[in-house]
Amino acid sequence: MATLRTTSRLFTAARPVFRAQQLRGLATIADTVTGAQPKDQTGTVNDPTKDAKIKTFQIYRWNPDEPASKPRMQSYSLDLNKTGPMMLDALIRIKNEVDPTLTFRRSCREGICGSCAMNIDGVNTLACLCRIPTDTTKESKIYPLPHTYVVKDIVPDLTQFYKQYKSIKPYLQKTTPAPDGKEYRQSKEDRKKLDGLYECILCACCSTSCPSYWWNSEEYLGPAVLLQSYRWIADSRDEKKEERKAALDNSMSVYRCHTILNCSRTCPKGLNPGLAVAEIKKELALH
Amino acid sequence: MASIVRPAVFRQSCLRLTTKKSFSTKPSSSFPAIKKPASSTLSKNAKTVAPSSVRIAAFHASGRKAILPPLPQSIDGTANEAAKIPPSNPAHGSYHWSFERLLSVGLVPLTIAPFAAGSLNPMTDALICGTILLHSHIGFDALITDYLPNRRVPKTKKTFDWGLRLATVVVGVGLYEFETNDVGLTEAIKRIWKA
Amino acid sequence: MRYSGLQKEVLALYRKCLRESRKKPIDTRSHFESYARAEFQKSLALDKKDFAAIEYLMRKGQRQLEMYSSPGIKDIR
Repeated sequence: MATLRTTSRLFTAARPVFRAQQLRGLATIADTVTGAQPKDQTGTVNDPTKDAKIKTFQIYRWNPDEPASKPRMQSYSLDLNKTGPMMLDALIRIKNEVDPTLTFRRSCREGICGSCAMNIDGVNTLACLCRIPTDTTKESKIYPLPHTYVVKDIVPDLTQFYKQYKSIKPYLQKTTPAPDGKEYRQSKEDRKKLDGLYECILCACCSTSCPSYWWNSEEYLGPAVLLQSYRWIADSRDEKKEERKAALDNSMSVYRCHTILNCSRTCPKGLNPGLAVAEIKKELALH
Repeated sequence: MASIVRPAVFRQSCLRLTTKKSFSTKPSSSFPAIKKPASSTLSKNAKTVAPSSVRIAAFHASGRKAILPPLPQSIDGTANEAAKIPPSNPAHGSYHWSFERLLSVGLVPLTIAPFAAGSLNPMTDALICGTILLHSHIGFDALITDYLPNRRVPKTKKTFDWGLRLATVVVGVGLYEFETNDVGLTEAIKRIWKA
Repeated sequence: MRYSGLQKEVLALYRKCLRESRKKPIDTRSHFESYARAEFQKSLALDKKDFAAIEYLMRKGQRQLEMYSSPGIKDIR
């Protein structure tokens, strides 16, 4: 790992003039191609007098190597013309060019992995799906997910979240073998019930936006895990529906939800965890 | 081990490369980590080096005032264990919720009925009082379970639980007195409305 | 001397570390013990009222303990 990182840093450092091209290349493929002969182009692109759109980003910093130090906000300025359109592009650019100590999680940069969940301008969202506001007069503030332990900078500790996810047994539980001995089949209608549930990528944006989850994260499962729980309750192939429901039927697991609906509002994937929780409550009430 | 030694070499070569090129047109790329010796780059970089585009502000503008310091927080068990599943308890779970919803829905016609009908019936009055009492008891109880988690502040929770029970009983007795010896809830609201 | 809850937790973690190192092979046991000791001594200067930092270090310590207590790890330096 370490060597890998070194070489990548070398790569970025050895060709600083190429950076502008490469980063813009995140948005368009054509730019990456022209990155091979950058000299004349950088002059025009980098000209600060022309129309540099300098945007300031305020980022939460905390270094675990000095646990006694307080967290602080650090400002970085970037020219939006040379940065990709998304927040993640800006973060990557800051890490590559300005401050390599900045730490954040990222992987797929297209909203599928859920790694780059963070609080941007007061909203929990995925940095890779969040456009940089073009209003350069305002500063963008980036914090880690609220009410999570911070591991470093904007990296949250999601141990409890994953433990809770594990506790709902997120896998198909079936004792009878498939009738054709090959696979468990499902009608189209039954499959349709899982739409809007299976897309969840467990980025924890919704759970960490829920005030009930802030106060009771040890016992209340939170919208993301409940949505997943409902995904298995609603699955026609699952045979442990009653056990799943019984595991939720107590005062803390589900019923700390007071339909605040921050979860549905914040979901970067446009899902509706609030509805899933309501469906769970309905299932439990109707027995 | 080798990876620790090598970056130093690499960085020196980078330094040579970077110094040759002019950065006047690029305000943001001053490569703080690369211009420093390898030993101090990672830990102290953020503090000591502040390039022109980077500004550091303290997170807390004012001094720290811990009036109510955060309650002790911890994660139970290892990272690979699932969180504990609490025992199934429908009386505090689904039955409680259904009952609470029924009460809330029932309150709507009960509050409208006496004013719409315009008649004073001690039975509906008693019913309203009873439902409101239960409804508010459940509501306050939810508040207590939300903000005073049993596992963090068990004693405070118990105190508040008994306080709430006491309050509910006192309010119940008060409402009974008000209904039997005074004008009753509906009539009182009517008078206040017109006053 | 009476310890606060957090102090007791720290001591419990240290004890757990020593207990876990007893499960390691005899010839490397002292390595584990001295490593645990060194890890604790690193933050000896910490203000005892800095709860946030202590709790963070406790969580970090728990994670490290979990990792090093796996039977696959035979030695530490």
